Amino acid sequence: MDTKNLTAACVLLSVGLGFGLTSFYGMNVGSALRMGPGYFPLVLSILIASIGAAIGIKALTVSMPFRPQVAPIRAVAAIIVAPILFGLTVRGLGFVPAVALTTLSAAMAAKGQRPLAALIIAVAITAFCLAVFYYGLGLPVRLVGPWIGV
Amino acid sequence: MTVDLISNLALGMSAAITPHNILFCFVGALLGTLVGVLPGIGPTATIAMLLPITLSLSPETSLIMLAGIYYGAQYGGSTTAILINLPGESSSAVTALDGYQMARQGRAGPALAAAALSSFFAGTIATVVVAALAPPLTSIALRFGSPEYFGLMVLGLAASIVLASGSVLKTIAMVSMGLIFGLVGTDINTGAMRFTLGRPELADGLNFVAVAVGIFGIAEILRNLETTIERTAVIKRVAGLWPSRADFKAMIAPACRGTALGSALGVLPGGGAILASFASYALEKKISKSPDRFGQGAIEGVAGPEAANNAGAQTSFIPMLTLGVPANPVMALMIGAMIIQGIVPGPQVATSQPVLFWGLIASMWIGNLLLVVLNLPLIGLWVRLLTVPYTVLFPAILAFASIGVYSVNSNTFDLYVMAAFGIFGYVLSKLEFEPAPMLLGFVLGPLLEEHLRRAMTISHGDVMIFLNRPISAGLLAVALAVLSIAFLPTIAKRRKEVFVEED
Amino acid sequence: MKLTVTIAALALSVSQVFAADYPERSIFMVVPYAAGGPTDTIARLTADAMSKSLGQQIVVENVAGAGGTIGARRVAEAEPDGYTVLVHHIGMATAPALYRQLPYKPLEAFEPIGLVSDAPMTVIARSDFEPKTFEDLVAFIKQNGTNVTYAHAGLGAASHLCGTLFMSTIGTQMTTVPYKGNGPIMTDLIGKQIDMTCDQATNTVGPITQDQVKAYTITSEARADALPDLPTTAEAGLPSFKLGVWHGVYAPKGTPKEVIEKLTSALQAAMEDSTLKERFAQIATIPAAKDQATPEALHTKLDSEIKRWDPIIKAAGQFAD
Repeated sequence: MDTKNLTAACVLLSVGLGFGLTSFYGMNVGSALRMGPGYFPLVLSILIASIGAAIGIKALTVSMPFRPQVAPIRAVAAIIVAPILFGLTVRGLGFVPAVALTTLSAAMAAKGQRPLAALIIAVAITAFCLAVFYYGLGLPVRLVGPWIGV
Repeated sequence: MTVDLISNLALGMSAAITPHNILFCFVGALLGTLVGVLPGIGPTATIAMLLPITLSLSPETSLIMLAGIYYGAQYGGSTTAILINLPGESSSAVTALDGYQMARQGRAGPALAAAALSSFFAGTIATVVVAALAPPLTSIALRFGSPEYFGLMVLGLAASIVLASGSVLKTIAMVSMGLIFGLVGTDINTGAMRFTLGRPELADGLNFVAVAVGIFGIAEILRNLETTIERTAVIKRVAGLWPSRADFKAMIAPACRGTALGSALGVLPGGGAILASFASYALEKKISKSPDRFGQGAIEGVAGPEAANNAGAQTSFIPMLTLGVPANPVMALMIGAMIIQGIVPGPQVATSQPVLFWGLIASMWIGNLLLVVLNLPLIGLWVRLLTVPYTVLFPAILAFASIGVYSVNSNTFDLYVMAAFGIFGYVLSKLEFEPAPMLLGFVLGPLLEEHLRRAMTISHGDVMIFLNRPISAGLLAVALAVLSIAFLPTIAKRRKEVFVEED
Repeated sequence: MKLTVTIAALALSVSQVFAADYPERSIFMVVPYAAGGPTDTIARLTADAMSKSLGQQIVVENVAGAGGTIGARRVAEAEPDGYTVLVHHIGMATAPALYRQLPYKPLEAFEPIGLVSDAPMTVIARSDFEPKTFEDLVAFIKQNGTNVTYAHAGLGAASHLCGTLFMSTIGTQMTTVPYKGNGPIMTDLIGKQIDMTCDQATNTVGPITQDQVKAYTITSEARADALPDLPTTAEAGLPSFKLGVWHGVYAPKGTPKEVIEKLTSALQAAMEDSTLKERFAQIATIPAAKDQATPEALHTKLDSEIKRWDPIIKAAGQFAD
């Protein structure tokens, strides 16, 4: 069994099935001559799912070990949370706290990063972003949002 | 014609080479470079942000400065693509493929120099093309209706399969996935919402910058965080800033071919320019004697697409100058700027405002010259950025990318899209899927469907429209040929194997 | 819930205290369309002229998406302190009919400030299209029906509204061909790939005067200065076929009255600004008269336009969501 390609096949099959079922049941498919909104996505979904099936069947017949090196869960979480934090806070807390939180979260992704060092990095980057985006480029944002002050 | 051309260019030069205009062209190019180099911020966002600065200037100076910002931003975007694998727009996604690999091998300097020099070369040729051939090229572009665009897109997709260095099947799967992600949003024919999960923010589709930054940039940061990083840079050695003699030799032909491809495709409004850098990369890889090096840091893979990209950026001014029609969002911004300055865009500009018209064309070349002068010394500085400890660099990249993605539409939802595609891109890379073909599919998906369905509407459901029109029939035939070539090596290899067994 | 009420109350009281000193900082003007388009251009010109009399900068913020409803919603939900305003066009009035799940009610979620402009539409065709006059065109369409292709820039776009109105007025269907935006339509029209469209004079003055496209009629009361030879729909025998793309400025509901008054008088002053007048004229756009740049006039216009378009759009059976 080739675990890597089997996983790849599963990804393709789920994308194909997910989009395919949505287009088949949720949209008007129409015909090749009068295409509805679901026609083109359905064709693509079938193609993706068939490629997934082909890769999967082939993966079952061969044997190959798969031990990928994966980033630690702490790093993945810290990196992914960073832009989400920015999105959640930029309008409410304002630009400065949002950038600070984002960089702080991201900085904590590095293994063995001490909170104080992360804080220093966050402050420095926030100051830089403030200078470049707000003062330099006039980005239309509020520095401090309505959640904190007026 | 030639006499006219020379006198027109002379008029343009005399307008562009006033100290005042050169200064603003330089300021524009510098600002564009500096903003464009921020991760996640491509030319469109840069121009939109810097637009207000130009409005207080005279029309000529303001347009010259805007053009400078445009080239500068484009150049800055390639710099981030090469240094940290973070493309700000579709064309620099291709530059990232080999440019970033070069940077990892300590060859960031030669990669940046290759990008700068081939861009300058392409810009010089394309300026002459714009000046000399704008009207005939426009009349060719006008013969491109939906069937022709459909043919072109199919050809582009067929060529993209050559892009991949891995499995052909996986590449086709990635292109198809890109196409389907590109369809998220409102169906323009019926107004039906597709795959929007009930979110109005998705009504206009997934944001390109969010997807690209996620799938390239964030996935790359995650890959780098796999190993324990000390307070050191990812790239330890930086060997030589300047391309070697062998590098120069390898660059010349790809830059020429890229320029030709880019100049031709850039003229087509609505999608032509997008294909230029992808097409150039595919072409270089196909005709290379050692296609295996592509994706591993081949300098041809930087020089060709960068030339194509810059030539296309230049010739995409042609539809705006001759028809007053914007070829891309950047041109739409330029047209908006012209109206605010009191100039009605359109074909009459060349006759009613000759100084402005030819001054703008001349400033294209001056802008390119200033950029190369500006950027060659900057290479040392950019490369030094890579020696910033990674623990500082990647939080900064995330902050810039978040701000950049947010600034496009002031839309927080795009940030969640970026995070989701970051994870998805990371998983895909672990499974040995390549992100570039997906990005091409993503850009072409909506166009492919739009032109296919529009052609079918116009022909009242007659498929023969694609074969009755010579240009579309020709493009589809070439696509078929390219596809069979893509599968040929495998066929050839099998035949060889069979032969060996018989022997 | 309690907290939001408290915060809202606090914000309201605070903003009332400061209303007298308004504006103390720069104002965000939300444009619900991409930078570079006609609405963006009109907003930037207006913002520039208004900031002269307000003494504070007005920053244009493009919040594009979903036919302008995302930007409008943003402003509807913004704090009513006068530091966030919206510029929107006729789409404000057609959204309730096009979007069944519209998250705000145009007449209730905003304080109108005033009308900004009105731009007539022009009916244009490829340069070698057979009909010579507007009467010929109507007869030709009635005869050929769906063999005639009509291009529009997506549901809810001005060209879509104009086409829907045109077809319902003459009682004949054409084959509609949707595009993304007006730019590609103009290219295909100049390239003779499609038959006709109807677009804001803002976009068509250039191609018409250069004879790249054939023009039939203009949908305004009077002929446009930029296109003096083009007959109005009334002159061409179809007086009920009349529409314009109008723009208005809005603030969120609950914005203090003093602030609205300041914004209205700044808008009225802007409409007299010589640069603005000159630029508007170049793109065949008429600045609002003083009695039109008022909250009452905008409210009346919005109300009547919502009532006008609702049955037309519903009869066409088209929804954008």
